[in-house]
Amino acid sequence: MATATIFTLSPAEVEALMLSTKVAVYCTLAICIPGVAVAWLLAKKSFFGKSFLDSLVHLPLVLPPVVPGFLLLLLLGSQGFIGKWLQNTFGISIAFTWIGAVIASAVMAFPLMVRSTRLAISQVDTGLEAAAQSLGAHPIRVFFTVTLPLSMPGIITGLILAFSRSLGEFGATITFVGNIEGETRTLPLAIYTYTQVPGGDIAAMRLVILSMVIALGALMISDLLERKATQRIGRGVLHGKDTA
Amino acid sequence: MIDIDLTRVQGNFSLHAKCMLEAPVVGLFGPSGAGKSTLLGLIAGLIKPNAGHLILNGETLFNDKQAINVPLHQRRIGVVFQDSRLFPHLNVRDNLEYGFNLLTAKDRHLGFNQIVELLEIGKLLTQKPHQLSGGEKQRVALGRALLTSPRLLLLDEPLASLDVRLKHQILPFLRRVKDEINIPMIYVSHAIDEILYLTSHIAMLDHGEILAVGQFNEVIHDQQVLTLAHSLGLENVLHVQVLEHHPDDGFTVTRLASQQINIPLVNSAIASIVSLSVAASNIALSTHKIKGVTIQNQLVGTVTNIQRVDTRVLISVDIGHEIIAEVTAKAIHDMQIELGATVYCLIKTQSIHPLATIA
Repeated sequence: MATATIFTLSPAEVEALMLSTKVAVYCTLAICIPGVAVAWLLAKKSFFGKSFLDSLVHLPLVLPPVVPGFLLLLLLGSQGFIGKWLQNTFGISIAFTWIGAVIASAVMAFPLMVRSTRLAISQVDTGLEAAAQSLGAHPIRVFFTVTLPLSMPGIITGLILAFSRSLGEFGATITFVGNIEGETRTLPLAIYTYTQVPGGDIAAMRLVILSMVIALGALMISDLLERKATQRIGRGVLHGKDTA
Repeated sequence: MIDIDLTRVQGNFSLHAKCMLEAPVVGLFGPSGAGKSTLLGLIAGLIKPNAGHLILNGETLFNDKQAINVPLHQRRIGVVFQDSRLFPHLNVRDNLEYGFNLLTAKDRHLGFNQIVELLEIGKLLTQKPHQLSGGEKQRVALGRALLTSPRLLLLDEPLASLDVRLKHQILPFLRRVKDEINIPMIYVSHAIDEILYLTSHIAMLDHGEILAVGQFNEVIHDQQVLTLAHSLGLENVLHVQVLEHHPDDGFTVTRLASQQINIPLVNSAIASIVSLSVAASNIALSTHKIKGVTIQNQLVGTVTNIQRVDTRVLISVDIGHEIIAEVTAKAIHDMQIELGATVYCLIKTQSIHPLATIA
């Protein structure tokens, strides 16, 4: 303990950090494909119930996070409609596990991913997609070779936003999966916990600084990746500006 | 051969195009808003017709009664768009290979290197589209469409977004494609000189309907066609042979049949063929040869047609090739020019525009 300073993280704090990162990574991976699929549907297709789907996807953005958390508990909790069935059929329990934390984060981060990706997809010149088809490419091929690469800057932004949202997720998580050390106590929950115990201010402060460093890092990486992706599609380095 | 009978209604614009196109290269000519791009879109499969049929070389691509509508990606019709539409995230080589790689070897009638050499785009292969000039973009777009070995090539005003100088650099490539590659083409333009440079076979479209299809020299005498062509700027296109250059005096002597024409200096080789455009309004007529005048070209010919359009009279004169001169009705009356009369066409050297600056 001789080298321990005010900046040294305790094992519990390290655990919170690792858990937060794990939850955020799985959350981002989980919403990646459904996010692009829903964004594509909303950007390109018109169908019955489109505005309902649109509103449903965006609901977590406008609701107090406790509400989705509580709904998840009702659905997936051990007494919940789906939760009970999962428990009885497969013996799986999601509530009060880190997987539940991933689901709570995913629900909250999904709208950010969809918004960003949808905007990017709708900005892809439909003339280019038509040109690709006239060259003999099936619409599915056109999606993967033209639409997707040209939407990449927006998709990357969406993923980073989702990752950051997941790192900061508090309300839905604590409502759905509780605050169990080593299982569901992510960084924000740990900070909250420290502020509730006497003498926990220093530990809380350490985690606050850590959170800020991670958030800043994520935003800077996002900016870098977005610039690279934008350059790759030949639009120059300025956001949305055509330098050609 | 293309059998077209297509109807498309959109808002208050309706297009009903019915014609048979048999020539290998047809120039689709008409004013802006006539429906030229819409017709091309219908043929390509970019736009769905409301009714009718479309048959290309015996294969039905669209028929509303038989519920046939071959999708865009299966039509094998190449399209070159006005705005080139190169994929910005791919370099020139990948753009060119986009459709080419989707073909099986037996469907590839044109080789990659053949097209790259024909269009002289070999130096551009590693560049991204945003690094190319407007003319280079259109050459790459043309190459990309050709490399899909299309059964029909549609060119939708490919030169409209280019300035005059660039136009003259691209036109020879289009002619090369026409001469060296046996693919039927429909070339859309509102510039009659571009079309006549490539082909003498035109289809005239106005207000969503085909007015006439046929050889330009024949259909132009239709009053409706002539009126429309006149309103869009009637240009004569002549194909002449280079005889000698006079670089110091800034002109080149050329030959049309047995007569000599002086044109602004070009850098084409002696004995090569150069295409020229002369506006009908820039040709004056005289009943006899004039001495003491600065106009260098006085081409003798026979009057073959006289037609009135509004206050103007358009006179066709055969000077070894039929050209049209635009004069006032009063002048014709005063000079008593009649069919079969011998007249001199007076053309200033500077009013002659060579259409392609590289041979």
